[in-house]
Amino acid sequence: MDFIFEYYFDFGLMGDEFGRVLDGFFITLKLSILSGVLSLAWGLVLAVLRQLPGKPLAPVRWLTIAYIDAFRGIPLLLVLFLVSGFLSAAQADGSIPREIGIPTWFGQTSTFWYGVIALTVTYGAYMAEVYRAGIEAVPSGQMEAARSLGMSHGQSMRQIIVPQAVRKVIPPLLNDFIALMKDTSLVGVLGAVEVVKAGQDVQTEFFNGSALVLGALMFLVVTIPLARAVDVLIARQQARTSRGGTGGGGAAEPAPGGAAGIGHTGGPV
Amino acid sequence: MADDAMLKLDGVTKSFGDLDVLRGIDLEVDKGEVVCVLGPSGSGKSTLLRCVNLLEPPDDGDILLEGTNICKGEGKDWELDFVRQRVGMVFQQFNLFPHKSAIENVTVAQQTVLDRSKKESTEKAKALLERVGLADKLGEYPDRLSGGQQQRVAIARALAMDPHVMLFDEVTSALDPELVKEVLDVMRELANEGMTMIVVTHEIGFAREAASRVVFMDEGVIIEQGKPKDVLDNPKQERTKEFLGLVLEH
Repeated sequence: MDFIFEYYFDFGLMGDEFGRVLDGFFITLKLSILSGVLSLAWGLVLAVLRQLPGKPLAPVRWLTIAYIDAFRGIPLLLVLFLVSGFLSAAQADGSIPREIGIPTWFGQTSTFWYGVIALTVTYGAYMAEVYRAGIEAVPSGQMEAARSLGMSHGQSMRQIIVPQAVRKVIPPLLNDFIALMKDTSLVGVLGAVEVVKAGQDVQTEFFNGSALVLGALMFLVVTIPLARAVDVLIARQQARTSRGGTGGGGAAEPAPGGAAGIGHTGGPV
Repeated sequence: MADDAMLKLDGVTKSFGDLDVLRGIDLEVDKGEVVCVLGPSGSGKSTLLRCVNLLEPPDDGDILLEGTNICKGEGKDWELDFVRQRVGMVFQQFNLFPHKSAIENVTVAQQTVLDRSKKESTEKAKALLERVGLADKLGEYPDRLSGGQQQRVAIARALAMDPHVMLFDEVTSALDPELVKEVLDVMRELANEGMTMIVVTHEIGFAREAASRVVFMDEGVIIEQGKPKDVLDNPKQERTKEFLGLVLEH
């Protein structure tokens, strides 16, 4: 019993190695925030590409859907190996310049950047699906109203649809961000000394897991408030919708079932 | 072709799958005319309006807007621009932008489509909202407005684009009875000012006093049309009589 306590809660060791674990946690935070912001943007780009209207743009939609399906279906760890392996091999081969193959921008390590790329590529696909749900939840009458005022598809998306969609999906996006933050630990496999790797280093050095527990606590300090924030936002949204939003659903006379679909030939809406 | 025809529909058809919603519509609307379209639900009235502003491009037939055929190029961009700069539409469900205040609802398209400055578009929006009786609601968001107020904002929003024709698609059907009048009053005023209007409605009273012509539709075709008192009081067609009997009975 004492052994368990000492193995996980050696406060002396936690104190001695606190700086090292905290340094790792800063790397974790940097990875999370940078990848989080980039995948939020990349996901929105993907979601908008997926909603482009008209027949000529169908290939763009298919490619986007293929990308999203692929990266939602591949483990992040595998993407990490693919990204780091390809970039370092391609620069060794001379196909790409060294500063792209082994990026050390802003004083960060190349493994850090491999992590940012892999996380953005993967989480962009997840977040694209979240945005899509939001875009599709905006009543079709909104697009019709915007288009009837003469706004183009792009203007309608930017001014009318996306702002409403984003508001609807802030809670699920935050949830994805929490998942992303935890998944930054996988970047440690490449050698980036984020908080889990730092804890593990301490563990192998001292045959003691307390630094890992310390790392877990650091995670919780950030993730629990985020989870609570998600709850608050959802509760607020529910309060707002139960108050009754605006009349939204476009009640066209004979609901034209297929007309709004992806392959819609007329496509002016 | 009558030269002063604002709008001329010639053999317009539209189907959704197996459902033929419009089965050959011929209709001429002159400048300044107020045409009220009546008919049972499912008769194709709303689809007719949606065809006129190309929200649903017709399958066949021609639509001439101010003499220009807008059904040539299957929703080519210039056709859409041409139509939507000239045709304003008001919807049954208002479709106000819920994330924008009343005045922003009226300015957003002015700024993005017509490149009007913030100042110019705001002045225009203020004047229009005042005109529809909402001078004190400029900053309110749609969810704080009643249905009647929302619909009046929607009318102002469409008018801000200086349309030559206004389409009204059952704009009072989603309103509580006591709010219908305030919307119809705005439309009546608009009609008196000479706006060309096509109004799909179930408000027989409005059609009687404000329409220059009443069109009765059923099953995708125009059954009969004429002066309100002729169509409403002495309908010639059996189906018109039946429909009016049902509507006026209660």
